[in-house]
Amino acid sequence: MSSFRSKPHVAPFVGPAWYVAAAWLAAALLAQSTVVHYIAIRGVVPSLVLVAVIWYAIRVDARRAVLYGLTAGLCEDALSAHSGAAWTIATSLSAVLASALSRGFFADSIPLVIVITVVTTLVRALLYWVVAALGGYPPGLGLMHLHEAVLASALNAVGMVVVMLLGRRVERVR
Amino acid sequence: MAAALALLQINAQRTGSVSPIATVTSSIFGFAQTAASATIGGARSLATTVVSLPGVESENGRLRARNRRLIEENARLHELAAAYAAETDVRPVVNLYHGVEARVIGFPPENESRAVTIDKGTRSGVRRDDGVIAADGVVGRVVAVTPFSSTVLLATDYTSRIPAVVQRGRWWGIARGNLGSVIVEYIPQDAPLRVGDVVVTGEGRSFRSGVPIGTVTAIERGDATLYQTAVLKTSVDLGALDRVVVVSK
Repeated sequence: MSSFRSKPHVAPFVGPAWYVAAAWLAAALLAQSTVVHYIAIRGVVPSLVLVAVIWYAIRVDARRAVLYGLTAGLCEDALSAHSGAAWTIATSLSAVLASALSRGFFADSIPLVIVITVVTTLVRALLYWVVAALGGYPPGLGLMHLHEAVLASALNAVGMVVVMLLGRRVERVR
Repeated sequence: MAAALALLQINAQRTGSVSPIATVTSSIFGFAQTAASATIGGARSLATTVVSLPGVESENGRLRARNRRLIEENARLHELAAAYAAETDVRPVVNLYHGVEARVIGFPPENESRAVTIDKGTRSGVRRDDGVIAADGVVGRVVAVTPFSSTVLLATDYTSRIPAVVQRGRWWGIARGNLGSVIVEYIPQDAPLRVGDVVVTGEGRSFRSGVPIGTVTAIERGDATLYQTAVLKTSVDLGALDRVVVVSK
């Protein structure tokens, strides 16, 4: 008697459709450039754009993640004063990082996603300021930027938890 | 007994006083009447309420709706009044500098720089490096222009530099953004600066001279430095910008 058992079929996790992701990104960008400014804490705002990027990146492969991050970063650079390509580079690489960090784990685990969000926010801020410094941004505010990045990572983590809880509720209603 | 009581009553009537019988009786009945009146009054009110309840309910609904309308109208009028005040605030500046009036419509997404987006661009005659002012003074300068919008770097941004003059003594310096405030660097050490001195723009690439930048709130002097630094409170509340004027040199 054969003891062969077929592997249980596990459907690969498929990320949201591109237009859904694009709509979320557009909404995040619009809110980020108009409303979020008013809830700044010590001059730091939560990044809904990064939350959207991480939310997407942890559900898809690195190639799609980098494309999404690239789009988000380009839009942020377009809306910023004189950031050059700093957000484009930082956000694209952050998306790859988030996608890589989530590989092998459940994309729906809140503690894991909090860790990914915090790490990605810090790395993104580091990348941004490195690129900005290379582009001629005056030095001397490293400690302040570090404090801002830490606060931003906490705010983003809270934002991500809210998004995930809302997502779960919506799933349950469906 | 009856005769005695009758005589008491007759006597009281003749003397014009109140008889003891009347006093006792009125007192006892007084309480009873009070209780009865209260009960009857309550019953009447209840009956009236029951009878007029549908009317009251509809009147309540009408009044609520009216109240809601009035609240909405009040909010709208407040908004109009605020918009009118903001517009009239900058109107003299527009006329004085022949500038382009604009509204603030956005902010940098990540707040990494102190900047705002305004709703006027090259189609309205805005150019890069144009100065931007509000009713009370300097806001910043235009750093990026598109056909329909422009990005204005605020005076408080870390990369912002504006030629500045302390109005009282004509001492020159450079106003540099310090995120929350503006500091004026390179003021000669021998300038007797005082807290409260007004600092205005010097003639430069973006501004004509004399536009207020802010007021000195602190002075930093070092013993071994050639220059002193003044910390300013900006004339314009850059956190609550609504209408601004773009001025070309």
